[in-house]
Amino acid sequence: MNEALLEVNNISVSFDGFKAINKLSFSIFEGELRAVIGPNGAGKTTFMDIVTGKTRPDAGEVIWGEKNFSLLNRSESQIAQLGIGRKFQKPTVFEEQSVYDNLLLALENDRQPLSVLFYRRNQSDDAKIEEIAAEIGLADRLERRAGDLSHGQKQWLEIGMLLAQEPRLLLVDEPAAGMTLEERDKTVALLRRAAKTRAVVVVEHDMDFVRKLDCRVTVLHEGSVLAEGSLDHVTENQDVIDVYLGR
Amino acid sequence: MGGVLTKFLMKHPSILVFLGILSVFTLFVTVGSEAFGVGFISTSLVKTLGKTLCFCLIAIAMDLVWGYCGILSLGHFAFFGLGGYMIGMWLMYERTRLIVENSMANAALPPTPAEIQEAIGTQIFGVVGGAEIPTIWMFAHSLPIQLALVALVPGLLAFVFGWLAFRSRVTGVYLSILTQAMTLALALYLFQNDSGLRGNNGLSGLQNIPGLEAMPQSELSIYFFLLSALALGVGFLIAKLIVENKMGNVIMGIRDNEARVRFLGYHVETYKLFIFVLTAIMAAIAGAIYYPQAGIINPAEIAPIASIYLAVWVAIGGRGRIYGAVIGAALVSMLSSWFTGGQAPNIELGPLRVVWVDWWLVLLGLSFVAVTLYAPKGVGGLFDLLKTERSK
Repeated sequence: MNEALLEVNNISVSFDGFKAINKLSFSIFEGELRAVIGPNGAGKTTFMDIVTGKTRPDAGEVIWGEKNFSLLNRSESQIAQLGIGRKFQKPTVFEEQSVYDNLLLALENDRQPLSVLFYRRNQSDDAKIEEIAAEIGLADRLERRAGDLSHGQKQWLEIGMLLAQEPRLLLVDEPAAGMTLEERDKTVALLRRAAKTRAVVVVEHDMDFVRKLDCRVTVLHEGSVLAEGSLDHVTENQDVIDVYLGR
Repeated sequence: MGGVLTKFLMKHPSILVFLGILSVFTLFVTVGSEAFGVGFISTSLVKTLGKTLCFCLIAIAMDLVWGYCGILSLGHFAFFGLGGYMIGMWLMYERTRLIVENSMANAALPPTPAEIQEAIGTQIFGVVGGAEIPTIWMFAHSLPIQLALVALVPGLLAFVFGWLAFRSRVTGVYLSILTQAMTLALALYLFQNDSGLRGNNGLSGLQNIPGLEAMPQSELSIYFFLLSALALGVGFLIAKLIVENKMGNVIMGIRDNEARVRFLGYHVETYKLFIFVLTAIMAAIAGAIYYPQAGIINPAEIAPIASIYLAVWVAIGGRGRIYGAVIGAALVSMLSSWFTGGQAPNIELGPLRVVWVDWWLVLLGLSFVAVTLYAPKGVGGLFDLLKTERSK
């Protein structure tokens, strides 16, 4: 078996005595699409916070890539540069800036202040941005202010920004929240396409959405993994049924 | 490089408009001046206008750091003042040296260098009870070094302060309070007689440029006015080059959502530090051109309230548009000197007598509240209205 792209070993973290994550282990491979589900407070968002460097775990390790880098003690920006992109629950695009500028900010390029200061618009970057805009269905809205987009369009723009970052691992937090049915289908297609070239982890409440993603599922409960496997497999699991339907 | 700049100017005609207005204004003042023209603009008015242009420059710096990068610094006048002190040291030292050497030239015995040094020390520091020239004046004889210090000293202060503050992720109102503390601490330190910068006397006689004694003030004032205009024009261009570029996208992103920029892989602290130090240096240069026109600098100039006024100027002019800051600074500081200069007619309202010298601050406060509530885009927002009118 090949090496995992991201390996989380036995991490624990507690906030004021509440164990948000309890000896969680998880791994994901290159080019894999994975859904993470779980009831409220299962630790889904905290798990993302730890991987992206926002929260430091009390114990355990987070290992990245074939060189086995530890991600602990690295800053958010360093982790992002290593190739982990994150989409937040609420669509967070830069509303005051145009769709083009949002994508340009995200586009894989040198992040040093000096090279940003002397950055010059060029054709290859423009082409990449146009390509991504076409993919997320915003090709004719490049010059629009991002704040004027609809809710669904903002979600896609944010996914587009993640694609522009060219990460090797995409962490997507509740992409379908607040979307219409049609927008959901489009989002599913977008994520499945993204997963062809990189690993994607989708955190989602919505079983229906997860079913459409048609991928391996990890169920979290009280900060650790309860079950893992295909959706049908985990929904037949008695523990999972107990957690979701109440004992 | 020239080609790039031309292309940039073509894409942003507002820069050319601004530089055009500035040039016409400069020409107008020069032609109207006593030294070079018909003389309907007095020398003191020329100095006021020159000083106002310096305020416009520091307002641009404030707009960059606050309006674009979202750091509400209430301490930028500390950098302005420090810039003034750095150039003031050379002006005062050199002028005193020339005077001392002249008066000693006729002595029976030629004075030794030590005697000259002592005489200079007594002249400058007698007022605070000293005769020794403090160590921090060691480069005061050299114009190039003091000019370099104009940028280096405030830049270093901004770097150390910013590095500590941004690294600890101090943001928002807490950072504003810290910057107020910084400028207050600096002012209090300079108020001390043993600070080496003449305590509350400050540095004076700065309007006399050593080596240019023969030149009348009417002529000098125009040169400084032109220098102020040049600095403002260059400052405007630099600010535009920064904000109309990817750098502008990043710092506006930091203003609107710092965490998101971090997760995109940008090291937010470095960017904040860059903008903070750059604007501190801009403020310092503005100060170094301002004080030779004002003639005197003392620690009261960098009292916390000065930096708060700066924020008020930019808010009234309109944040995040560069020219708004210029309008705000020019408008408010000119009005301020009109109202507090005793030119505004007082209003008799029976028992209440509105003396503008006292009531100007009330008026300013009310306008600030009004702008915040009813026109958050400031005076500059009016231009947006014009634009939308035209596109209709």
